[in-house]
Amino acid sequence: MAIPGVLYFLVFKYIPLTGSVIAFQDYSVFKGFWASDWVGFKHFEKLWAYPGFHRIFWNTIILGGLRLILTFPIPILLALMLNELRIAYLKKSIQTALYIPHFFSWVIIAGITFDLLGYHGLFNQVRGWFGYEPILVMQMEDYFRPVYILTSIWKEAGFGTIIYLAAITGIDPSLYESATMDGASRFAQIRYVTVPLLLPTILTLFLLDIGSFLDLGFDQIYNLLTPMTYRVGDVIDTYVYRTGIQQAQYSFTTAVGLFQSVIGFVLVYVFNRSARRTEGGLW
Amino acid sequence: MVKARHRTFGEKLFGLVNASALCLFALAALLPLIVSVSTSLSSKLAVDTNQVFLWPVQFTFDSWKYIVFRPDLWRSFGLTLASTLIGTALALLVTALLAYPLSKKEFKLGGVIMAAVIVTMIFKAPIVPYFLTVREIGLFNNPLVLVLPHIVSAYCLAIMRTFFKQFPHELEEAAKMDGCGYFRILFRIILPSSTAVLATLGLLYGVVIWNQYQTPLLFLQDQSLFPLQMKIKQFIVDGNELPILAAKAVVNYNERTLRAATVIFAIVPVVLVYPYLQKYFVKGAMLGSVKG
Amino acid sequence: MDRKKWIAMAMSGMLVAAVVSGCSSSKNEGAESLQGSPSSPAASASGAESSVPAETISEDIEVWSVNNGYKEVTKGSPMYNFYKEKLGVGIIQPYVEWNGGTTYQQQLNLKIVANEMPDMFLPVNGMEYDLAKNGAILDLTDLLPKQAPHLWEDIPEEVWDVIKSYDPNGQGRIYSIPSIFDYGKTGAMIRKDWLDKLNLPIPTTQEELVNVLKAFRDNDPNGNGEKDEIPTGGRQEGRWMDYLFAMYGIAMQEGYPDWDIYDGELTYSAVTPNMKDALVFIRDLYKQGLLDKETFLNNKATWDGKVGTGKVGVYFHLVDAASDYLENIEKVTGVKGDYTVIPPISAPGYEAFYTMKRINSQNWVLKNQKDTAKINAAMKVLDGYGDQSKWNDLYFGVEGMHYDMQDGVPTKKPEDKSVMENIVLSPFYDISVLDYYLKMFEEVSKDPTRKWAIVQDVRNLKDNQKYVKAIAGDGLPSSIYADYPDIQNRTLYIEYITKIIVGEYPIEKFDEFVDKWYKSGGEAVTQASREWYAKVKA
Repeated sequence: MAIPGVLYFLVFKYIPLTGSVIAFQDYSVFKGFWASDWVGFKHFEKLWAYPGFHRIFWNTIILGGLRLILTFPIPILLALMLNELRIAYLKKSIQTALYIPHFFSWVIIAGITFDLLGYHGLFNQVRGWFGYEPILVMQMEDYFRPVYILTSIWKEAGFGTIIYLAAITGIDPSLYESATMDGASRFAQIRYVTVPLLLPTILTLFLLDIGSFLDLGFDQIYNLLTPMTYRVGDVIDTYVYRTGIQQAQYSFTTAVGLFQSVIGFVLVYVFNRSARRTEGGLW
Repeated sequence: MVKARHRTFGEKLFGLVNASALCLFALAALLPLIVSVSTSLSSKLAVDTNQVFLWPVQFTFDSWKYIVFRPDLWRSFGLTLASTLIGTALALLVTALLAYPLSKKEFKLGGVIMAAVIVTMIFKAPIVPYFLTVREIGLFNNPLVLVLPHIVSAYCLAIMRTFFKQFPHELEEAAKMDGCGYFRILFRIILPSSTAVLATLGLLYGVVIWNQYQTPLLFLQDQSLFPLQMKIKQFIVDGNELPILAAKAVVNYNERTLRAATVIFAIVPVVLVYPYLQKYFVKGAMLGSVKG
Repeated sequence: MDRKKWIAMAMSGMLVAAVVSGCSSSKNEGAESLQGSPSSPAASASGAESSVPAETISEDIEVWSVNNGYKEVTKGSPMYNFYKEKLGVGIIQPYVEWNGGTTYQQQLNLKIVANEMPDMFLPVNGMEYDLAKNGAILDLTDLLPKQAPHLWEDIPEEVWDVIKSYDPNGQGRIYSIPSIFDYGKTGAMIRKDWLDKLNLPIPTTQEELVNVLKAFRDNDPNGNGEKDEIPTGGRQEGRWMDYLFAMYGIAMQEGYPDWDIYDGELTYSAVTPNMKDALVFIRDLYKQGLLDKETFLNNKATWDGKVGTGKVGVYFHLVDAASDYLENIEKVTGVKGDYTVIPPISAPGYEAFYTMKRINSQNWVLKNQKDTAKINAAMKVLDGYGDQSKWNDLYFGVEGMHYDMQDGVPTKKPEDKSVMENIVLSPFYDISVLDYYLKMFEEVSKDPTRKWAIVQDVRNLKDNQKYVKAIAGDGLPSSIYADYPDIQNRTLYIEYITKIIVGEYPIEKFDEFVDKWYKSGGEAVTQASREWYAKVKA
């Protein structure tokens, strides 16, 4: 029964993965895999030796961590809130509206962000009402991380509610009924019925997210970044983009990707082990 | 869902605040759509001089007229629709076939396979070997490349597996005692009760296939095989330092208005699907209880 | 590929405008105007007739170039037949997404991996260096004079010498065909009508400029009762305000610092004392609100919007494109403005100029293959490409698809990417000649509704030539940046100058920038560039 699925992973994932060896070569499109020179850890060293490595590494970690902590719970919250809506058509419309930004590219979302935060944008207009001078948010280091988090939520939180809502809808109504009869308030019901039943889903999704801890979404950062916010916003992916496009440096890009994947994998492994204790692990 | 019961004042207040907050969030979420719609309905001059934001300036249907009358766009639409429907159905099938054994403790290889799958989610193959592999199996310039590379996603697999794991064992026990094999159990008992999961994952797969861009970019050279997202890119021209005088003199649209219109063209079908799917969620499986 | 595309647009814009205005721009005239252009000596034969159809050969070649959304060219299609008729060779071009060059480069690399390199293609991001080094592209040195004499003659010998210096194997062989520009295309433009309204002369000193900018800021020259004027400004990364740097003798092209002789040696202009002084001045402008506060956030669309709605006093861009903005300004505000080129203003102790670079990126390379029939076909195409008598034909494309005959005059049709096949060869863009341009403009200016604006373009284009200077770094190969992509991308430069200009860093930080720049690869790059210079130009 499992054969088609396993076949897929073998063909489309594992076989190409063997090509990751180019991370240890000086891969040249002219020489191919077999004839390209082997250089061991040269590309990794190049990454670590980059004078700005410290900066891009920590920026990546910090943004990844913020994203996990701050954006992960939002879809859950939204799903719970949506579940409390009693008017059906309102619930449906809001749900649909919320997941629309997912379909727009970051070029568009970032463009709107710049407009909103520009000199004459909404943000500064509101500041003006309170008597504050306009500020150019996208140029200011202190604002980059909040903007990154807020735009992440704006774009993806709605789409993320889909799974949680499906899970919530699947909860047997009789459980709520018995809770009501025991005199539980709506809040208590959420706390003692909904959330515990949602936990396996939450756990699974959390573990899945951790694996891509260092994958911050190149498109998003690239479009939100300005030279003035490099110090907090320049991450591993943007650095690789700058270096990689120049001479199509496949080896270097692969090496960096490997580096990030290893870190991601270690995280998943560690968290999965603790999750297994509650029978919630991924494997 | 919940039987009518007297709500406290606190609860009513909460309900109001809740609804308002959600409405606000929804409005914020609609912003990109509003901006795109306005851009697509504005004149070339207005967009060139950057005057458009929330509402159309110098209203015109010209951009829409242009794209709606492009047969190649409709062809692409049809192709994308077909590949999405076929691909989603196939994906759900293959995923279920893999998720079910993986959710059973009896399946000894389950843990290993699952771990291997998660690995593929974290470790991504570099472009060149991926390109060569897929090309070797004959998918270059082949419309099947719109479907096959997406038939299983580790993410969806993990979710489906979690759902299967939670399925009440009693039902399966009963079926086994009646002499049902695993296939029958899966298709006759489990899947029919999993409409919520299937609808959800179907949506996820569908969106991925509908929106795909990177994969077809590598493997499709024939313009008539381009899915929607690749078509949309044809409307985008980057880095021009000077617009074409002729186009300005004669037509009332530019790259930005066309892009806005095509983006909406690509989004509308997906947006319409979700409310339709929602009814399947309600009929779904029940967590944490035994079906009567 | 920025330059290449705007050349393309500029050219098509002017020529199209010429034709739209119904003026005669027949093939004959085009050919005549190309004769005797100073920088293209001994151009093609008389060209009094429309170009002679070429002798056809049976071989087809696959050619890759920029395609901004047009249809592919397949065997037997109208465009294919067109090239077969005009050049004697059938040309095939699959659709490859351009996306600013990045997608194109990826697709090209994958083709190379799959052993399916096109016969002839446009190299991007300096890839010709690696290609030549690995023997993947053809040595053209002997083939060009023999089999593509028209192209060989089009490009001056000194340019070919520079191309020879690009040989990664140091043998002085030619591996690529360059695109060349023989005139200065960018300069600073000021609203002359605002100056007249405020009774001010065109500024010739920095002090006068600052006064003018202040007047623009405070005295409502656009007359709408609002203080919405932006005296001057630029775009992201501090680009497109080159004239402010030019005042200090800084070589800069489209906002990218370049290489010139400073203190007797070829040096990167961004790390010279000139740059430090320039930053002090610009920083002061920013502080006084004379430089758009959103300069570093302006992308092209935003900035075009500001100029096009009549808000900007002085901007820096293509001198022959003001009409675009002017026409928008008229439509939006009703005012017929006047943008005039300002002669470069020298800061005290410096000599100002607008930068001109003759040699641009490489346009064509040929696959190094054994099939001599294909090679001959490609050379034949290159010869036709360089034959100026064919340029008009190549420009107009296929009758019925790209242009129509209206009253006996070929007229370009409005752009419709769903039916138009991509125009693969555009020699008139790649080998640009000033007189050709000027002649086209003269034609367009006969259109009464547009004359007032087009006339300014012609004037500005002519005047600008007095203000430009060719820099020493003209023709410097991008291979000097190998291994130092951050230097090539100006990462450090952008970070520092933006922060210095907005006032976040004190000016002293500039010395830190120079130090870091040299230490993180600038040293090696400078050495490589000086070696090249000594070999080629000295």
